[in-house]
Amino acid sequence: MDWRVERLTQGLLTVFLVITLSFVIIRFMPGNPMDYILAQMSGDATGATSGEGGASGSDMEQQYELVQAYLSMNPSDPLHVAYFDYMSNTLRGDLGQSIYYSRPVSDILGRAMPWTLFVLSWGLAIGFVLGIITGSLIAYWEGSKLDVGLTAYSVIMGSIPYYVLALLLIVYMAYRWQIFPTNGRVPEGVTAGLNWPFIKGIIYHASLPIASTVVFSGIASLSMRGNAIRVLGEDYLRVARLRGLSDGVIATQYVARNAILPLYTGLMISIGSLFGGSVILETIFRYRGMGYYLVQAANARDYPLMMGGFMLLTICVVIALFITDLTYGLIDPRAGDENREAF
Amino acid sequence: MTAADPDRSMPRADDPIAEVRNLTVAFEMDRGQSRVVDDLSVDIERGEILGVVGESGSGKSMFASSLMDAVVEPGVASGDVTYHPPSGESVDVLELSKGELQELRWEEVAMVFQGAMSSFNPVRTIRDHFVETLSAHDYNVSDGLERARELISDLYMDPERVLSSYPHELSGGMSQRVLIALSLILDPELLVMDEPTAALDLLMQRSIISLLDGIQEKHDLSIVFITHDLPLVAGLADRIAVMYAFEMVEMGPTDELLTDAAHPYTRALLNSTPNLRAPIDRMRSIDGESPDPVNIPSGCSYHPRCPMADEQCREVDPEPYRVDGDHAANCHYWEEAAEAVPAVTEEFDDAGEMGAAATERTPERRSGEPVLSMDDVEVYFEQESSAFSLFSDPDDVKAVDGIDLDVYDEDVVVLVGESGCGKTTLGKTAIGLQRPTGGVVEYRGQDVWQARDLVGDIDIPYEEIRQSLQIIHQDPGSALNTHRRVRAVLETPLKRWYPELDGNDRRERILGMLEYVGMTPPEDYIDRYPFQLSGGEMQRIALIRALLINPELILADEAVSALDVSLRVEMMDLLLELQDTFDTSYLFISHNLANARYITEKADGRIGVMYLGELVEIGSPERIINDPKHPYTQALRWATPELDPDDDPGERPMRKIDIPDAANPPSGCRYHTRCPEAREACRHQRPELVEAEGEEPGYQQAACFREYEDHEYWDSEPITDEDDADSVDSGTGPGTAEADD
Repeated sequence: MDWRVERLTQGLLTVFLVITLSFVIIRFMPGNPMDYILAQMSGDATGATSGEGGASGSDMEQQYELVQAYLSMNPSDPLHVAYFDYMSNTLRGDLGQSIYYSRPVSDILGRAMPWTLFVLSWGLAIGFVLGIITGSLIAYWEGSKLDVGLTAYSVIMGSIPYYVLALLLIVYMAYRWQIFPTNGRVPEGVTAGLNWPFIKGIIYHASLPIASTVVFSGIASLSMRGNAIRVLGEDYLRVARLRGLSDGVIATQYVARNAILPLYTGLMISIGSLFGGSVILETIFRYRGMGYYLVQAANARDYPLMMGGFMLLTICVVIALFITDLTYGLIDPRAGDENREAF
Repeated sequence: MTAADPDRSMPRADDPIAEVRNLTVAFEMDRGQSRVVDDLSVDIERGEILGVVGESGSGKSMFASSLMDAVVEPGVASGDVTYHPPSGESVDVLELSKGELQELRWEEVAMVFQGAMSSFNPVRTIRDHFVETLSAHDYNVSDGLERARELISDLYMDPERVLSSYPHELSGGMSQRVLIALSLILDPELLVMDEPTAALDLLMQRSIISLLDGIQEKHDLSIVFITHDLPLVAGLADRIAVMYAFEMVEMGPTDELLTDAAHPYTRALLNSTPNLRAPIDRMRSIDGESPDPVNIPSGCSYHPRCPMADEQCREVDPEPYRVDGDHAANCHYWEEAAEAVPAVTEEFDDAGEMGAAATERTPERRSGEPVLSMDDVEVYFEQESSAFSLFSDPDDVKAVDGIDLDVYDEDVVVLVGESGCGKTTLGKTAIGLQRPTGGVVEYRGQDVWQARDLVGDIDIPYEEIRQSLQIIHQDPGSALNTHRRVRAVLETPLKRWYPELDGNDRRERILGMLEYVGMTPPEDYIDRYPFQLSGGEMQRIALIRALLINPELILADEAVSALDVSLRVEMMDLLLELQDTFDTSYLFISHNLANARYITEKADGRIGVMYLGELVEIGSPERIINDPKHPYTQALRWATPELDPDDDPGERPMRKIDIPDAANPPSGCRYHTRCPEAREACRHQRPELVEAEGEEPGYQQAACFREYEDHEYWDSEPITDEDDADSVDSGTGPGTAEADD
């Protein structure tokens, strides 16, 4: 069977398991979201109709329907029916209703998602380009003062947690010197659309969050340094020099290409941790992305939104790794098509 | 050839393509200057093949690199390397600017390296490698690719398939040949080959060597062939230069050097090189070690190991003495060398002497109950598959396919074959490290895996079996834990199997063993770490570790291949000596027929020849070496070079160079795709091992229809390359998977 189909199946299976797991949590965990909502409802109900001995049958019905609306799951249904309903709703994109915002979860997350992706992808891209460039520079001048300086810089960058850098940035760049805005994601008073002031505003607001993720360049440049030094010692590089290849060809086709290969996997794996990191980052900058809503949801015990957010994060990581699998063969022929006939 | 110059004793060339004078390559190190080439002078004649022979660490690779000023930093080459192009100005290679060097390299002087597999950029196709070389030197790319195709098909490969491949898709032998083609793409005058075949199988080595002759003639090349393997170049080189301790010690025409070497080192080297003809009891290795490049002995650098060294040798560094013509040796007493170090081959003229020792013992010795018995053993490896590919065909690699083999008390069996023939898998199966997928492995009548799984009646517990079957690996450096001292390494098995011993007993026993294998003083060695030992010493530690628990059978997987030539004989002798003391049987694995012959002949053992998972021939060494029955054994025999200048490789006794894919072996007799004797019958039927004709039973068995008296084979049509599309070396399409693998 084609390995692509295999990887896709594995990915889908992971997503399926994650959704099932969230069903199990909602349904069976003690103090689970369902009980919580039910308790709140009945609390409200008893509060409203004081004097009556508990909720009547029709009240229960109503509460179940409310739970159904919030969590895509009716507590009175038998297990298999509930599971089937939940799965089909979720797969259709219905993640329930947010309690806090009183809006469909899919709607909230769907609007927040692009902003998170925007910040993360740029942060990651800039971080890695920077890392690769500094890494190659250090490797080329290995042992020089530049090596010492840049390596020190990379180690410091690599060891600062991104949220500390984010706090520093927001204190100095936003509050003290007021170069960048302290929060928000779009400029105020500008019509949304494809016009320059609006786009400029977006970039302006995203600058600080993106700048904080650049700490990842520290790690990238250190591993790039190691890889490049290893490649510089390879036999094929010596042969290439003896064959008289130009420095440009050697730098790009020989050193860079082979040194970046291991980084690529690292890059894609770090997407997962970055998504997790967005939770803190977006809270610091009050940047209304996925992470921001996740924190809000946790604070407000808004279970539907939380569950939806976690589910979406998982799916994003699975997709990112799937893309890595698909594209790795393009940059490294050794990992390429297994069906290609070898000698 | 050379006009004798009374002032200089070094042989001069009439028409040199390169002259090296007083070449020194030095590295600055903390503990002083390390001179890895020390004041070396040599001429390279236009159109000759010069073989440069030296042990590892003799400076031969540095000499090679200097010829194109490619000494790796921080090494510094000084002296003169003058290159004379066919027309135009001569140039001093070491003085060239970067731009001039770029023109010299590859256009005039090209180089082939040892590790072909790592000489290509893994993310670029072979075609890219050719194209980028051509464009870097402003050559016409389409003409150049045409030339590349021609070179590749001259080296018996399919040009289109090779060019569109990535390096990892080529086998070792193929990438080495592609590297040769790549080195010739700009039509250089001088080709420097640094151990170009060291990483390859014997058959492939010999095939490449025999191709080189043709290539050299066709392209009018001068070749410097650098190797540690003297017999390998014996049939190829016009002249041989021997390097010892960073300088040339002897230089001369190949036949003179081999038959009448004048330097004691050369003579000793010749005596220590295992080969197929010299009487084994006279081979010996050279005592002592090569000197350290930081601390080269004064005077003659060989004097600490030389039997005839005297005051003069210790003080005066010998200049080349002219032996005669263009044969020179750096030895004060070259005239007496022949007497002091007599050649082992000299008295060896009657072939009877060789067999005499071995025939004293008979196959009857191998009677009684075998220590280890393998019956129809099969080991199939499933190719990469996962839960999702259940429906595709199981593409098993048949690493071992139906082998019967018995090993008796104090027996020695050597398995030889090309890499990928399953010899290591069979070995591991024999000692119970690999579970066979079919067949039975029995240790003294007890099924090893039944004992392991506690099935049936168990006479011998698995623990005891495990203890009795031990292994020595090829690379001692990676077989010993680098963070543990010798004492800790050797104590572990003792603690495991002899818990009754206390610390003192263990120490005593280890010291005794160290002394026994010649590592004296043992108190000095016991607290060392593996990196403080030489390769030979590490292998001894690995050997002691296996012997300490008194095993019945030891699997020695290429146990001497990683050692220097001059140490191999010594190591093999030690192994055999210990066999007598400890009553151990050995199962050796080797790719080298000369080593196999040495050890089996000395121990009266058997050589088993494996091909693609099958045992194709087994027998006593003198039968296998002198009268191989199976065509594949004949090919191996052909591939084993002789220390003989007249040793012409001759016609390759195979129709194809490359070994077929083990995942998809040929039908019938697996060798039929390469066998020169193959006939139609071989395609369909699989021959069984039968007693060779005209021999007492037990001496020699071969799996070939030609040993069958009455077989369909004799009436069927021969398979030739013309009517067998699958076996043509070049021009195979992607559809014929089994060809050209």
